[in-house]
Amino acid sequence: MLPAECSRRLVAELRDALDSCAERQRQLEQSLRVSRRLLRVWEPAETPAPEPTPGSEINKEAPSSACPPSPQDLKELELLTQALEKAVRVRKGLSKAGEGVKARSLKSGSASTATKASAPPSTSRCTGSRAPETKPPRGVHHPWVPAKDLPGRRLLLVGDGAHMGQGAGANKPEAGLRDQQIVPQAASQVPEAFTLKDKGALLRLPEAFRKAASRNASLWAQLSSMQTRDSVDAAAATAKTQFLQKMQTAAGLPSSMLSAAEVGRLQKACSMLRLRMREELTADPKDWTQEYRSLLTLEGLQALAGQCLHRLQELQELRSAVVEQPQGPWPEGPPRAALPCGGGADPVWSPQLLLYSSTQELQTLAALRLRVAMLDQQVHLEKVLMAELLPLLSEQEPLGRPWLALCRAAHCLLCEGGQRFLTVLQDEPADRLSPP
Amino acid sequence: MGRRRLRRPDPADAARALPEAIAALSRTLPAAPSPETFRRAKFDHPEAAPALWRLLFRVLSPLPADGASASLALEAQARWVKSALRSQGYPRRALVQLPDDGSQGGRELLLALAWLLARGPLPERLLTQSHVRLGDEIPVCECEALASPGLPAPSVEAEGCVDIRHLQWLMGKLRLQWRNLMASQQEQCALLGKIHSYTRGCHSDRSLGHLSVTETELLRDPEGGRQLLRRLEMENAQLEAALEWRHRELIFWQWMDTVLDACSPEASPLTFLPRIPEPGPGAARLLARELQTLQEELREAAEARRAAWQAVVGGHGPEWRAARRALQTAVAQDLAALQRAWEQDEGRARPHGPRRLVRTEAKVPGGPGLWAAEATEALRAREACLEAVLRQLQGQCRQELARLAGARPGLIWVPPPAR
Repeated sequence: MLPAECSRRLVAELRDALDSCAERQRQLEQSLRVSRRLLRVWEPAETPAPEPTPGSEINKEAPSSACPPSPQDLKELELLTQALEKAVRVRKGLSKAGEGVKARSLKSGSASTATKASAPPSTSRCTGSRAPETKPPRGVHHPWVPAKDLPGRRLLLVGDGAHMGQGAGANKPEAGLRDQQIVPQAASQVPEAFTLKDKGALLRLPEAFRKAASRNASLWAQLSSMQTRDSVDAAAATAKTQFLQKMQTAAGLPSSMLSAAEVGRLQKACSMLRLRMREELTADPKDWTQEYRSLLTLEGLQALAGQCLHRLQELQELRSAVVEQPQGPWPEGPPRAALPCGGGADPVWSPQLLLYSSTQELQTLAALRLRVAMLDQQVHLEKVLMAELLPLLSEQEPLGRPWLALCRAAHCLLCEGGQRFLTVLQDEPADRLSPP
Repeated sequence: MGRRRLRRPDPADAARALPEAIAALSRTLPAAPSPETFRRAKFDHPEAAPALWRLLFRVLSPLPADGASASLALEAQARWVKSALRSQGYPRRALVQLPDDGSQGGRELLLALAWLLARGPLPERLLTQSHVRLGDEIPVCECEALASPGLPAPSVEAEGCVDIRHLQWLMGKLRLQWRNLMASQQEQCALLGKIHSYTRGCHSDRSLGHLSVTETELLRDPEGGRQLLRRLEMENAQLEAALEWRHRELIFWQWMDTVLDACSPEASPLTFLPRIPEPGPGAARLLARELQTLQEELREAAEARRAAWQAVVGGHGPEWRAARRALQTAVAQDLAALQRAWEQDEGRARPHGPRRLVRTEAKVPGGPGLWAAEATEALRAREACLEAVLRQLQGQCRQELARLAGARPGLIWVPPPAR
């Protein structure tokens, strides 16, 4: 059995490690749920579906739209409706739900329902082929206008349609019409359901969302440029520095207390020194200048390490002289691992991309990232275990079984990552006759 | 360089500008109290204190505000704030002496907030933390994951002595969890790959090309999409407020000067301080041990090389003296740069943070983002480094244990077969 304090610390560390792993797992599973659902057949939205875009309310039943369409739009709409009616007449025997919907749409005259009317005629053609088909309503290149007012999922398909209605060169006129074919029925009889695989390429983001997203990006860019431009606003910067100094001098505490920031810096120093040492030791000097340089570097690194150690010891002494030792379950301040990269993220977000070309590449990258995280954790645990177990073993004197068992277990944990055991044989003295 | 017209703000201007500046600050910080509360705080009105405690808690806690942390009692939040400020090196003693029930101290809290604002770009940092992520993101560095200390655990189980086998069991459990995690991650990557390729050509932003899971999800689920949009719009409002704050903040600092003056000067430092938790002694101990080991290794390596060098140095000609000077200077500069890298807080070579995944066929060199291949290379290097460190530590343990066992006669160690 391990002593209480030691047990508490080690168990706490291991539980910490387990918790952080569990947290990652939880987040991953959440993402997996969402992704799996997206790749299945999409369930149709409930009717009546409320608006996805706030501010442009349109009730499906209400005949008038929020933004009155222009005369040209109305004319086109009428053309479309007529063409669709014809198509429906031509294609008899389609789902009754479509008929019912169409009837409603003709009554209300709202653009939105025209979508549904068009769905039945075209969906049957959809089956088996994904290529752009001839448009059922011929001659209509601009599906509808107040596209952003469309309820439910229709919106997603005609986000670009809003622009198309103005007669501007449509990027994908066919796409807009193809969109009609994809709308899933609210009614029970769905000729063809929506799957990302088949029709994912036809999705479009809603207008309001795109606006908000681009405004977001532009605001971040402004903030970012403001950061780098900070030197221009010297007055505010000076005022801040002066304020900080005033706070410091008016303070009642000596500023050289051991702070988390200081410890963090020294941790960073330690890991950077180690990294540099490794570089020097593995480098292969080709001539004497490089050799000498390497020698000087190592000596310099040694001096720096000494300085850091000295500083740390100074701070430790100072702290123990002035402050009582804290007790109780307080949070540990500083981050425990020293990070070789700068440490700390950019204060201002900026869009950064990671480009990959195949799923394999992505999987390799992700797996490697997890492996690095796991190794980091293992290294930390190793250090903690060393700090706790080795002193314990060297202090204990008893020569009995318990010590041996502890030793063997410690070896397993410390040297084999808890995976394999060694065998300890005890050489019995010759004069004892008891069996081994 | 053009001359900048510095105009002393006249009192009338100030009367208008200050409330606007504070209002901007209040709009950009999360869960900030009203501007009126700030004014009350200057005069140390008691009702201002709780709001400011909560604000400081929200601002200092590294995790996004969720139900668990927000539901902490005011007292617990106040204690945590004190601890966090101390660990950042907050200089004023008066804050530490404020009562824990959060009923007093508006002015001190205001000073603490100003101190945090003066030290770094606080509103921007908070906004970056809470930024609405629209893409599928993957962190390339592990900084974010490691650098967040947890909030006080709700309950620390009082464990007695444990058997070392319990530790072994925990390690085994940990190993298993990592394996599961890796498997889940692989599946998620496969799904992401599919979603990205199925939605190719859908995004209005050509440089992205395809939709992310978040974006596709908002199309599938309009209600969720609405919520996302709301959050995005709220963030936009906060960003606008942050920009306004940056334009107006000078007047705020002039005002804070008056607030600081209004405080009575603190007495000379006491030798006794109230019990405030410092960063754990454990971390410092561990670090001291590491530094000692490092210093030892460096000493050995340097001595060996120095000896080798001395042996051949005689053979070099006069040009060596001149070159030696140059080399010494170069190495000194090198090491100074290294030292600067950890002394200063801003020392990053490349921006970190999670990156948005983009699936693309194009092989344009120097494209808009980081290529997965490059990131993989960097990670491999880091992996090798960590593996080396781990092996080295394990080797150290083996030596130490062998030494301990060797001190006892009659033991034979049979190590497990090498892999």
